[in-house]
Amino acid sequence: MIELIEKIEGEAKLDFSFEDGKIDFVDIEFMTARNIENILKGKSPLDALVINPRVCGICGHAHLIATVEALEDCYENIEISKKAKIIRELTLTFELIQNHFKWFYLVMRPLFGEKQEVLKATYPTQLMAKAIAVFGGQYPHTSYAIVGGVVCDVTEMDIIKVKHYIEEAIKFFELNVVQADTKDFLVCDNVDKVLKKSGDLPDILKEIKKKKYLHHGKSYDRFIAFGENSYFSKGKSHKTITTHNISMDHVKEYSNPNSLAKNVLYKDKYYEVGPLARAMINKVPLVKDAHRRYGDNIFSRIIARVCEIPQLLNHSKELLEQLDLSEPSYIEPSIDITKINGSGESAVEAARGSLIHKVDIENGVIKNYEIITPTQWNLGNGTKKKLGVSQKAMIGLEDVQTAELVFKTFDVCSVCTTH
Amino acid sequence: MLSKKEQRKEQIMQSALELFSVKGFYNTTIPDIANALKMSVGNMYNYFKSKDILAKEIIKYISIYLGHKLKEINELDISTEEKTRKIIEVYFETAMKKPEMIDYFLRIYLSTREVFKDGCEGMICVNEFVTEIMIYFEEGVKCGDLRDQDFFSAFGLFMGYLGGMVFLRGENILPKELDDYVDDISYNVYKALSV
Amino acid sequence: MRVLWLSSIACNGNTHSFLNYPYMEQFLNDFEFIYHPVIDSNYSLKEIVTETIACDILLIEGSISDEFKRADVPVVDIITKYAKIVKKIVTVGTCATFGGIFRESDYKDTTGLHFVKEVKIDKFKDLLNKTISLSGCPVHPEVLVNTLYAIKKSVDLQLDNFLRPKDYFAYTVHNGCTRNEYFEYKVDNHKFGELEGCMFYDHGCQAPFTHGSCNKILWNEVNSKTRAGLPCMGCTEPTFPKSNLFGTKKNMGIPQDLPLGVGKRTYLTLAGITKAFTIDRLEKKLFDD
Repeated sequence: MIELIEKIEGEAKLDFSFEDGKIDFVDIEFMTARNIENILKGKSPLDALVINPRVCGICGHAHLIATVEALEDCYENIEISKKAKIIRELTLTFELIQNHFKWFYLVMRPLFGEKQEVLKATYPTQLMAKAIAVFGGQYPHTSYAIVGGVVCDVTEMDIIKVKHYIEEAIKFFELNVVQADTKDFLVCDNVDKVLKKSGDLPDILKEIKKKKYLHHGKSYDRFIAFGENSYFSKGKSHKTITTHNISMDHVKEYSNPNSLAKNVLYKDKYYEVGPLARAMINKVPLVKDAHRRYGDNIFSRIIARVCEIPQLLNHSKELLEQLDLSEPSYIEPSIDITKINGSGESAVEAARGSLIHKVDIENGVIKNYEIITPTQWNLGNGTKKKLGVSQKAMIGLEDVQTAELVFKTFDVCSVCTTH
Repeated sequence: MLSKKEQRKEQIMQSALELFSVKGFYNTTIPDIANALKMSVGNMYNYFKSKDILAKEIIKYISIYLGHKLKEINELDISTEEKTRKIIEVYFETAMKKPEMIDYFLRIYLSTREVFKDGCEGMICVNEFVTEIMIYFEEGVKCGDLRDQDFFSAFGLFMGYLGGMVFLRGENILPKELDDYVDDISYNVYKALSV
Repeated sequence: MRVLWLSSIACNGNTHSFLNYPYMEQFLNDFEFIYHPVIDSNYSLKEIVTETIACDILLIEGSISDEFKRADVPVVDIITKYAKIVKKIVTVGTCATFGGIFRESDYKDTTGLHFVKEVKIDKFKDLLNKTISLSGCPVHPEVLVNTLYAIKKSVDLQLDNFLRPKDYFAYTVHNGCTRNEYFEYKVDNHKFGELEGCMFYDHGCQAPFTHGSCNKILWNEVNSKTRAGLPCMGCTEPTFPKSNLFGTKKNMGIPQDLPLGVGKRTYLTLAGITKAFTIDRLEKKLFDD
């Protein structure tokens, strides 16, 4: 039974096989691919800063940051000011927040029978877009992070402005998503306390319990994150064991006969990436509590993603405080990138999980470019014997609608998956 | 057609140029110029309020004169190599027919900067001429004939070479007339600037 | 008015740019999407492609190729079907207008609706008089929304040669840039990471010859790329993306692309004059004493 899953930045075709009234396999097909990696070949390395954000309209900024870091990794030595690093992290953080708001209000809530509230998605996301635009000039599709730093300089007035956007977004969260003081919510380590609150998130979580969905969406309980910054740490986690010792060398991509998306594995195993993975590796108390109670199910996945909103808003306020405006925003690299022969790679945490970029520069032009997107990890199309993460999460469900809900808790993005 | 006043101004500048080249810039006075034209000194001041102003007007006059000739060449549908030759021809022809003009440019404008610092900043007073050289270079690079490089490294090569030849001629050192060198110099310049 | 938002070969950047429109409530009261990539609609994509749903405006996002399908139906067939019944067609973004970045994608013969770069193509020539092009990568939300309102009001929009409304595309992106003085007076020592300087001379800024209102209406209501210090990439133009986007193409030190409509001789003469002067205020940092 083939179902077209729509409004996921494109579509995906899920081909469900049932046995005894239960899903026993799902073939996931993404039908469109633009092959950005080919477009990049032969271009000047810096042009990738303009092309790559156009991989995706909702997480293009993560692609920009991954690009600039991969290009900088081609240098043996390159100096980036702390100020530039903080600004990059801020804008990437704002993108994650806008993404989560959009996912929650445009995708998730309607799946629980609520009317889609577009304005609840657009109001906070516009605040985050403004905050990015203060530094980057515009959102989406800025290329303001360049090899050597960022193009902008900022003044105290800009910081005041950005801080107001953050405060306003926090206020929105407290009024709508979880009606509680964010400070308390951030230290909360008990899911029951959240369930007692009002708000659009507790509503959904209660609904999951009420509908007896608590067993839905369980997968390998195996998580990985490669991106590292002042908030996220890299590592992997399986059930309760977490290690930070991982290497990108073990990441392998495999073409997929049935879909234009490639599968990606770590040491030959499927891993889940994204907010739940990050929270497990970072040991976020509330998410750990959800996971302890319910495992890697849709409840944990949803609470992890929404939880990141106030965490990141709060963290971005701290980052703003750390900005030293007297530092340079940009330090001209001692060698022009067109004089470089070398390879570089990067990993950043995008909204949906770890995003990896790899580049080879030869005689000043891009010889090869490789992008591994978060959704490739989560939505890999495995075989019956070796299921992908989201495939495994859908096994055993009794109907297509619930399967679609489970599928969408991974925050599916068609354009990224195939790029 | 130039107005009567403009014609008269041109006559004054031409006459001043000739006197400067014979007597030297500092040794030539406004009364000397008036005298040469059989004008009253008072009337002379109706045209140019001071010698410094006259000096600046003259350099603009030369720049416009040469700029105009170069513009005609730039607008021809010919190769960069042919343009190179024509520009050199025009420059040398001017140096031979109106030696006082190039002389003024090389000996007075370039070496008496204190007179020109106010009102002739940078290359303002030779703008017409320099603009045409820029266009010649820019189009030469764009069509793939000339090698892309810094403007001044090319400009210096071009002007230094031609100026040097005119200077040698002025010093009576050149054994042959300038136009005898056009072939070789055009070849050398184009060879140096082309891809 | 009923609007169909049809994505072709795209990144959905226009979809998300549109979501930044600040007066969304008003807009959603005045327009109904029969389909939109992320906003809920009364029809599914399957219904859109298999049936013909009543519709007033067709929005196309993304480049177009015969090979590209949505819900198993070639996107050109969907366009042809809805083009017949709508009042207006709007190409949203540079890909749908000129082919854009995804002109270079792996799909065969990828183009914009009426243009491939500057060249007009015949495939949909019957629709030329119905089409309005809104280029930009992405489109500016106000440009899109206000054009839709103009259609609703049956305003007779003046369009340029690429069918772009002059209200937004008669300007250059240079208009309104806070770095204008550095351009006017040819202060050409721009360095990235600073509030001062103009990116035209060395860093590839295409604003003086790119049509658009970025610096007139601003992005996200707060800023623009060039104000922030990022060169204009010329994303509203048929030639987008050019190559070596962070460098100015110069021949013997003279910029190859000059301000729109300004002759080379005029530009060089003016530049020669302004360059002769040093303007202390513009040489110094803005915040220096």
